[in-house]
Amino acid sequence: MKKLSLLLAGVLVVLMLAACSSDSNANSEGESGSSGENTTSDTVETGSVETSVEATGDEEVMLDFWIHQTGEDETNAYIELIDAFNKEHEDIHVNAEVIIDDGASAYSDSINAALVAGNLPDVMAVDGPYVSSFAEAGVIQPIDEYIDEETKSQYVDSIIQQGTYNDQLYSLGAMEASVMLYYNKDLLDEAGIEPADSIEEAWTWDELMENSKKMTTEDRYGLNLFMNYGVGEWLTFMGAPLAWSNGGALISEDGTTVDGYLNSPETIEALNYVKELFAEGVVTDSPGEMQFEEGNAALALGGPWIAVSAEDAGLNWGMMPYPYKDEKVSPSGSMAYAVTNNTENPEAAVELMKWMTNEEATIKISKATGMPPAQKSAFETMEKFNELPWSVMKEQVIQTAHARPSTPAYPVLTDAFAQSFHAAALGEDVESVVEQQVQRVERELKRFEE
Amino acid sequence: MKGNSSSAKPLTDHDHYKAPSEPSIKKVPPKRKKRRRSQAFQEAVTGYFFLAPALILLGVFLLYPMGAAFYYSFTDFYILKPDDISFIGFENFSYIWQDAQFRQAFWNTVYFSVIVVPVQLAVALGLALLINKKLKFRVFFRTAFFSPVVMSLVVVSILWTFMYNPNEGLINQLLGLIGISPQPFLTSPDQAMNSIIVMSVWQGAGFQMMIFLAGLQNIPNHLYEAADIDGASNWQKFLHVTLPGLKNIALFIFITISIAAFKLLVQPMIMTQGGPLGSTKSLVYHIYETGFNYRDVGYASAMAVVFTLIVLTITIIQRVLIREERG
Repeated sequence: MKKLSLLLAGVLVVLMLAACSSDSNANSEGESGSSGENTTSDTVETGSVETSVEATGDEEVMLDFWIHQTGEDETNAYIELIDAFNKEHEDIHVNAEVIIDDGASAYSDSINAALVAGNLPDVMAVDGPYVSSFAEAGVIQPIDEYIDEETKSQYVDSIIQQGTYNDQLYSLGAMEASVMLYYNKDLLDEAGIEPADSIEEAWTWDELMENSKKMTTEDRYGLNLFMNYGVGEWLTFMGAPLAWSNGGALISEDGTTVDGYLNSPETIEALNYVKELFAEGVVTDSPGEMQFEEGNAALALGGPWIAVSAEDAGLNWGMMPYPYKDEKVSPSGSMAYAVTNNTENPEAAVELMKWMTNEEATIKISKATGMPPAQKSAFETMEKFNELPWSVMKEQVIQTAHARPSTPAYPVLTDAFAQSFHAAALGEDVESVVEQQVQRVERELKRFEE
Repeated sequence: MKGNSSSAKPLTDHDHYKAPSEPSIKKVPPKRKKRRRSQAFQEAVTGYFFLAPALILLGVFLLYPMGAAFYYSFTDFYILKPDDISFIGFENFSYIWQDAQFRQAFWNTVYFSVIVVPVQLAVALGLALLINKKLKFRVFFRTAFFSPVVMSLVVVSILWTFMYNPNEGLINQLLGLIGISPQPFLTSPDQAMNSIIVMSVWQGAGFQMMIFLAGLQNIPNHLYEAADIDGASNWQKFLHVTLPGLKNIALFIFITISIAAFKLLVQPMIMTQGGPLGSTKSLVYHIYETGFNYRDVGYASAMAVVFTLIVLTITIIQRVLIREERG
């Protein structure tokens, strides 16, 4: 018996250790989304978290609200905001439910299940580029009639752009996201390379290539593209601006076809540039999770969360704008809120959305996550955005942010681009891979033809 | 006998005595039948009552979904529009033949199965033979070989992903010690599937080992003794006593591994997301992605129907072959 219980105890320990490591992995994958997850820890309770204000019974409107959970600080910020909303609005009570966003499909699985069962909440968080597919399917509703132009103009343009489908506004977000060219100050100094401190000075593709090569040594890479995030949304989020900057596109302006856009010479040239970066050996397709933070890569095209982890690692770091070819563009888009068609109180629901994305809220969430705020005025209020290095991120969000395409076929389109990007990284023939992906997206687009 | 006849008399007397109520006696047999019927009915009710949990679960989680999948495979069910489903005939099925991803996933799955099934069978048998010997630390080895089976496949997959890491992974560090340059493993289209195969064999073999072990211990010892007397070598004993003795168990394991191998999903989902370049995408994973990530439930259902037919065919072929061998 003793032997058996010892054995069982041993197995338990192994399983627990394994469970811990699986957690940390889930965290790292969480960062791969474009949605600006700043994953600190997973310790927030996973079930439904009721806000602490109790319903008193004389409230007229009850709102169910789904938020995605990526990090403890972020979730706490949301809960504080919702508490304050409930206190401020005597006639509305919000029940918030926090749903895990593991960077993969956990959150969207919840939405899909609720959708088929007809159980969607009144307001839910949706990832920016998915707004149009929900809008097209009539899952979420336009909010133009509840929001005036002045309120709308307070948001950065890219947030309105990502929330708009067929000229109607569907979603509002509290945070933006971006991709910066991070650099290791010591390594740049060592190589005698001057960083770019503003959009005007942004590096061109050639400069990026040349400088990355210069800083690549036997035990160090010149550039990190965070390929360890896997083949998913990250590659589209980080990589699509290369195509846009070169005059390419992922899909036609009217969203009806990708033939001649995803496989245009400009897009293919951008992917071939990626291919060259890998072929020159300045970047690897399997970097360690902390490659840049540990000084094993001189440059890194990473999300706002890299600023946080680089700072935590004690790295002497800085940020530069996204490199360009012809036009200066940068990645954009993050989680936003939308009102579902399930709600009986769209007006109260929009009220909640405005509350969750007003200046105060965006500042609070920006502080919790490190993501840039979605309100223009918040950039002025938050002092850090008025000096280097954060001023570069502010300039980028306000001046060059480019939303991902607004099409109901986005889930397939983004995978098509990510697969093509990854094929380029592995040195495959870009043109034939892209051609295959075009067929796939074209089939999906047929579904949405009238 | 005398006692019997004497006791029969009073009985007949008794019958005669009760003659007026004969009709009621005649009614007894039908009553008994009724009683039997109602008893049978009751037993049936009890039987079905005991069956109910299994039947309900089977119905709700197997039969109904199968029927639904069959129905949806002829529709354009898109997950965001559950109220707008229209019948499109065989369109989904005809697209399967044009779908390059389906073809790739099919051949990936076949490759995985064709390698995993014999290798896992051999490894499991080898381990069982080792453990069947009266070695020191036998219990330790048995536990060690069996422990991967107890762990969740998801956990195992994540652990092996760390071990396969091209830069910091344990396996490359070990290879470095014996002078082999670092391998890309999961990040290479050529090595990814083989890496998953190695991990899958390691994870699964322990379970089959236990079944083989039971089989080994069922082979009567006198057969070995007889072989010893005939002067058989160890190899001959293995070939002519052990293997024939394990035949039925090996066939059982062969079928279960084959079906399990065809349902490959967790490993590529966790370890490679089907990449690089689709080299580890399995059929089930492709179906899952189509249905849930790309929301195309109609087409996913069609592929699921085809997948079921494929597995069914394989199982039938195996059964026929086995029957022929037995015959």
